[in-house]
Amino acid sequence: MTKGRHWVALWLAAFLVTTWLVYARQTAAIRAARELADLRARRANMDGHRADLERRIRAAESRAVLVPRAQARLGLHLPSDSEIVLVPAPSGSH
Amino acid sequence: MARPAVRIQVVEFGVLVGLALLVTRAAQVQILHGRRWAEEAQAQRTERIVLQARRGTLYDRHGTPLAVTQETYHVGIAPNELRDPATDGALISRRLGLTARTWQQALRRRYAYFAGPYSALEVQPLRSVRGVHLESVLNRFYPDPAVARATIGRLGDDGLGASGLERTLDSLLAGRAGAAVVLKDRAGREYESPARVIAPPVPGLDVVLTLDLELQEIAQRALDDALRRMDADAGDVVMLDPATGEVLALASRQRDGSARPSAFTDTFEPGSLAKIFAAAALLSLRRVASTDQVSGEGGKWRVLGRTITDEDPQPSLTLADAIRVSSNIAIAKFAARLTAEEQYAALRDFGFGALTGIEFPAEATGRLRPPSEWTRPSAASLAMGYELSVTPIQVAMAYGALANDGLLLQPTLIREVRSAGGGLRYRHRPEPVRRVVSPAVAAALRNLLRGVVERGTGTEAALTNFPVAAKTGTARRVVNGRYAAGEYTASFAALFPADQPQLVLVVKIDNPHKGSYFAAQTAAPVTRSMLEQALAARTVALDRARLSTAAPRAATAPADDDGGLVPYVVPWPYQPDSAGVGPRRAVPDVAGVGMREAVRTLHRRGFRVSLRGWGVAEHTWPAAGDSAAAGSMVTLFADPYAAVRVRARGPAPPRRGPRR
Repeated sequence: MTKGRHWVALWLAAFLVTTWLVYARQTAAIRAARELADLRARRANMDGHRADLERRIRAAESRAVLVPRAQARLGLHLPSDSEIVLVPAPSGSH
Repeated sequence: MARPAVRIQVVEFGVLVGLALLVTRAAQVQILHGRRWAEEAQAQRTERIVLQARRGTLYDRHGTPLAVTQETYHVGIAPNELRDPATDGALISRRLGLTARTWQQALRRRYAYFAGPYSALEVQPLRSVRGVHLESVLNRFYPDPAVARATIGRLGDDGLGASGLERTLDSLLAGRAGAAVVLKDRAGREYESPARVIAPPVPGLDVVLTLDLELQEIAQRALDDALRRMDADAGDVVMLDPATGEVLALASRQRDGSARPSAFTDTFEPGSLAKIFAAAALLSLRRVASTDQVSGEGGKWRVLGRTITDEDPQPSLTLADAIRVSSNIAIAKFAARLTAEEQYAALRDFGFGALTGIEFPAEATGRLRPPSEWTRPSAASLAMGYELSVTPIQVAMAYGALANDGLLLQPTLIREVRSAGGGLRYRHRPEPVRRVVSPAVAAALRNLLRGVVERGTGTEAALTNFPVAAKTGTARRVVNGRYAAGEYTASFAALFPADQPQLVLVVKIDNPHKGSYFAAQTAAPVTRSMLEQALAARTVALDRARLSTAAPRAATAPADDDGGLVPYVVPWPYQPDSAGVGPRRAVPDVAGVGMREAVRTLHRRGFRVSLRGWGVAEHTWPAAGDSAAAGSMVTLFADPYAAVRVRARGPAPPRRGPRR
């Protein structure tokens, strides 16, 4: 009789351990999935931020913006070719 | 009353029958209909979803992104899930740009859906709001939408390339969508469990175009300014590298500001631009000597029932004079020394009347009728650039053949194709179509074109320090099948510099209304302006090492003589941009190396370095293992996380050759 109870207890314990393992694994997986989703969201956010900054930098660097400002604020002008001097590379400079 | 034993037997029988029925039903459900029920259960609990593949990026030749794919979002709102509809509503309306009325309408629905698409930045504050459901979707994004819009094209609603290069390169850029299975609850909502990936998405290939962003910008601005100033109907600018056939810039604009790829699709009569091709045939077939002269007929010559006139009458002209002053009479007289077949073959050899083969979904062939369809004045008309229709890209390639010592190349817009990991899959190599004229004849023709800029109709395009070879063309426009009074196409084709040209420019302006309609006063100054801007720009695809030696007049007109002018300062010792002069060397593999060390390594190999990004070196263009001329520019791409990726990727694979 006592031996039978031990077996029942053992099976019950095994069942509980197995159930707990499944539960723990599921919980960990769901937590990892949430973290992954959060990281993806953060990455998407940073990508979006980077793209926005790149777009603004590109716009700020464009000739349409720079040239008029350089002319108006700094008094610069686009050089004519006579103002551009290309110095010949000395032989053996590589 | 039955005996107890009988009653027990009846109960046992009843239980047995019940059990038998249960087993039978179970067998029916599990075995006979098992598959159907399993599928139904699967369908209720799971959903197969498509994993979008990231579309490949389009870059300019220096690695600047022109079209990228980014994650964007559709937004769903479940009003009954909102904790504080007033506060949440204000935030949602602000982020999504909704009006108060739209938001009130959304609140009345069970589930409101806003397709957007909204950027990650726009929806970021909404992620923590209960009741807001974000659905991510990959979307195409053009950092500078105005740049080469007609050439790059756009995607259709189905996400496939609908126009331009997006369409031509769709099979390369699109990648392959993947699939995954996700679990759902009874209400059909996805569990927050990881999806089971059945097939991972394969990202599309990245394509490096031949376009040079800075030259493109110069071309677009110059064309916009010209159209506005001249009140013209439309215009095109084509710039290409004659040594490779690579198109560096393509700008097309209509009066209303729209841009369609007219450089490929719209034809025009080239007028005097075509005179050089008649001269090419004459020189190749030795039908004219440099001293041969024809009469200028006082500027008016009646032949075959038709009167040919010259704007600048000359008493007598050589072939060089005919090209220099763009004499219709002289070129018509010289062209009479060619048979119809010879004249036709020359034009055909330069690529007229045929597709250039550029990778663009639509291209016009133009019109060049065979001699059997010519009328009596056709030979003279063709010599003057009439009875012939061409596209700007055809003209650019034909002049490119003159620049390239007589070798006609196939034009291209694609420089490289790379895998998402950066591996080289294809690199463009110049593809000769045919030899059109001998190198000696090509040199003689360039000399004729040089005379146009130095003493002829193209002086407005002349630069002080750099020789330019070019030809003007002013042709009457055909409207509804007839030449319309007062309507002209002004065009200009230039080789820069005149010796060993690095750049072919074609400028076409349709119907300039303000001021002169002659190409000499319209298209030629636009060309000079673009050349000056290209010379002053830092990163354009010009080899300044060769330019510096191609500027003989710089020595006689030093910058010091120009009082008050500030010279363009170049670093000393000067290192040339690229190519040709230096020996070719292998580009070292610097992936995963710190930025500073990577730059040092590249410098030690004799390359110039252009930086993109920061952090750890990820890859270079040209790629590690490829060869490049010493002194040429190597673009180094860095990324803070490159070291991790490089470690995960392992050592760089051996370089693969081009596909074709």
